[in-house]
Amino acid sequence: MSSCCNTKDTLASTKGILTVALAGNPNSGKTTVFNGLTGLRQKVANYPGVTVERKTGRCRLPGGTVAHIIDLPGSYSLISRSPDEQIAMEVLRGLRADTAAPDAVVVVVDASNLQRNLYLVSQLIEMGKPLVVALNMMDVAERRGLHVSPQRLAKQLGVPVVPVVAHKRKGIEQLKRAILEAKVAPMPDWPLPQEMREELLLVGGGLGLLTPQQNLERSKATAERLLIGDRAADLHEIWKQEPVAALLDHAGRRLARLGIDPMQADIEAHYRWIDAVAASSLVPAGQPLAEPDQTRGYAARATLTDRVDAILVHRFWGLVIFAAVMASLFVTIFWLAQPIMNGMQNGIVFVGHWLTHRLPQGPLKSMLNDGVIGGVGTVIAFVPQIALLFFFLAILEDSGYLSRAAFLMDKLLARVGLHGKSFIPLLSSFACAIPGIMAARTIESRRDRLATILIAPFMSCSARLPVYALLIGTFFASHSALVQAGIMLGCYALGILAAVATAWVFKRSLLKGGATAFILELPSYKVPQLSQVARQVWLNAGEFVTKAGTTILAFSVVLWALAYYPRLPAGREQAALLGGGPNAVTAAQSEYSFAGRVGHAMEPALRPLGFDWKMGVGLVGAFAAREVFVSTMGITYAVGDVENGTRNLSAAMRADRYADGRPVWTPLVAISLLVWFVLALQCMSTVAIARRETGGWRWPIFMLVYMNLLAYAVSLAVYQVGSHLGYA
Amino acid sequence: MEKVCTLPQRNHSVSPGTCRLNELGIGCTARVVSVGGDAELRRRLLEMGFCNGAQVQAIRRAPLGDPIEFSLRGYHLSLRKEQARHVKVAPAAGETAGHETE
Repeated sequence: MSSCCNTKDTLASTKGILTVALAGNPNSGKTTVFNGLTGLRQKVANYPGVTVERKTGRCRLPGGTVAHIIDLPGSYSLISRSPDEQIAMEVLRGLRADTAAPDAVVVVVDASNLQRNLYLVSQLIEMGKPLVVALNMMDVAERRGLHVSPQRLAKQLGVPVVPVVAHKRKGIEQLKRAILEAKVAPMPDWPLPQEMREELLLVGGGLGLLTPQQNLERSKATAERLLIGDRAADLHEIWKQEPVAALLDHAGRRLARLGIDPMQADIEAHYRWIDAVAASSLVPAGQPLAEPDQTRGYAARATLTDRVDAILVHRFWGLVIFAAVMASLFVTIFWLAQPIMNGMQNGIVFVGHWLTHRLPQGPLKSMLNDGVIGGVGTVIAFVPQIALLFFFLAILEDSGYLSRAAFLMDKLLARVGLHGKSFIPLLSSFACAIPGIMAARTIESRRDRLATILIAPFMSCSARLPVYALLIGTFFASHSALVQAGIMLGCYALGILAAVATAWVFKRSLLKGGATAFILELPSYKVPQLSQVARQVWLNAGEFVTKAGTTILAFSVVLWALAYYPRLPAGREQAALLGGGPNAVTAAQSEYSFAGRVGHAMEPALRPLGFDWKMGVGLVGAFAAREVFVSTMGITYAVGDVENGTRNLSAAMRADRYADGRPVWTPLVAISLLVWFVLALQCMSTVAIARRETGGWRWPIFMLVYMNLLAYAVSLAVYQVGSHLGYA
Repeated sequence: MEKVCTLPQRNHSVSPGTCRLNELGIGCTARVVSVGGDAELRRRLLEMGFCNGAQVQAIRRAPLGDPIEFSLRGYHLSLRKEQARHVKVAPAAGETAGHETE
């Protein structure tokens, strides 16, 4: 067998910075290897224009070479229409302008699941890049009685194979050394059907005419890709050029006549080769593997995982345990995080006041206190919730339970076109959409992730509760507690209904596409490593503060300016002070400000919904966070601080009359406003995190438009139909 | 305790001795005969190891009836019924397919 171009000169001779791509199947422990190589020196961003995370990091190799490591999305294959795997392929082939083409590839292989992991390796070999195999989870394999010999595997593949136990940081130094010795693997002789081999030679020959600089091996590899329907951009539409086009056409027709599907024949040939490679590298339980029969050798899996699964995905107990796990997750981020959040927010405000107390009253002090420090407080307040959520998520994901949770819940979510893994993000969104949207990262398929992000804000979050409580408490106080609870429940139900309906619509329109195969791997259970969990919490919380936090801060300052400027003229301030005291001054200032003017300007549009300009001002304020609606109402109604209860505010709202004597607020108005709060996206932090998670303004703006249009339409319908039916 | 596997009563498969993967009785083992469906699904299933002749065992159904967990090439994965039905299987030597418990 001939070897390819540059097997002898390894990367050790190259000076400067090396670009190394880290590839591997999902669940192969790739992230742990990445963390081992790069430590905390990681950068997380999005690939421009797509909702796929781009993680990079640096590591110093022996001899002083610096390696720039790109953590590719976990992939089973490089020929795929799944956006995540397509990104991996594009980076590897150097097709992305935003990412340098890698000089070498490290592929992480799960030793306990050798064959399926070797499929990706077989594709990487075809790609002809210098390669290193990091053989991970040797310990798991050993426990199952599978002894994989790295030396034998290296001999079979023709590239360095480094055994690593990534979570114990074993083998990482050896891996760094091996990167410098990465080799282009010799092209295996895939056991393809004879007819297909002939056609490959013919098409390869045709390619040779077009690109004489390529040797026959590379031409054949390219021919193989063309024949199985790979149309990646690095092939430069060569399939359209003669004589390749005619040869391909001929090959396709001949093979079809013979009943050979090139794609299937190719994958099966890869697996036959893999079976042979695995058989020569595996020594199960001390005895040589007699036949390359895959499944028999693995009967050892009747292991701990099976025994645990017998309970955790049991028909009855599985659901009970699932409910208990989800309940504790929810309680943690809903209640446990709350006092910590309030404490941190108050602490920030306190520190802020202390820092600014020497400043003279004026715009600067106000901006620092209400804009900057208030904004920082908002950002910081999310941190405990996010940290706790990621603590949970990391444990669930690393242990392997997350896949089981998806397995249990998939049927429920599949009905509306979502994924089993959408459950936790949506559940978390009942506490707050910020951690909810962040939790959607665990969903591998981009379409399902996006659909989940788009509907997550419909879940009634904890910031809506004070608004629900104020409106229900003020306008349904005379009704029984049962009615009040019913209305509250109705708000939650409406949100879920809206989520289900829009998910259904999106999956049939905007996010349509070939049935994204729900192929969910159920990995073996593992004990989560505390250091890995802590790292996840730290990285995610830090990333939230630096990435989404800055956007939130900017929004906060803009909102401050809207409420602060323009200032009330001195004459009118005096009049207000004489008329109603300091609260009246604040109220007059609020009405005079941009926010007040926006409220007035919006009034014609809000009238049909039953809202007046004061509610408009409240809606502007609620963009900071929905519960701010309550304090904004307190200011507008000149009842002062609402911290110590909303009784004064309720009375003022009930007493409010239009010029013609009609009450401003009626139960119908309250219902219409409740509907608005359930459906509308009016939370700057949600917009900021959606921008961060989808990698641009496109999706958050879309969310703002569709959710607020929906809110408007439904509120309008409720108020108009209600009025015509004589309710008020 | 050996599980007794027989061919499903409502056999949706045309050829004798085979059935669809979603009809394979829980605990039963079979060999893959063919993989259908649209090109993308077929490619994905093949790449995950559902090649001709590969041995696959039905492990369990999710409590709500769907998806189904299978064991293949030493690892476990779950497929929705909608996808599993595109895989045609033949009971492995010494075993036959089981009842569909729907």
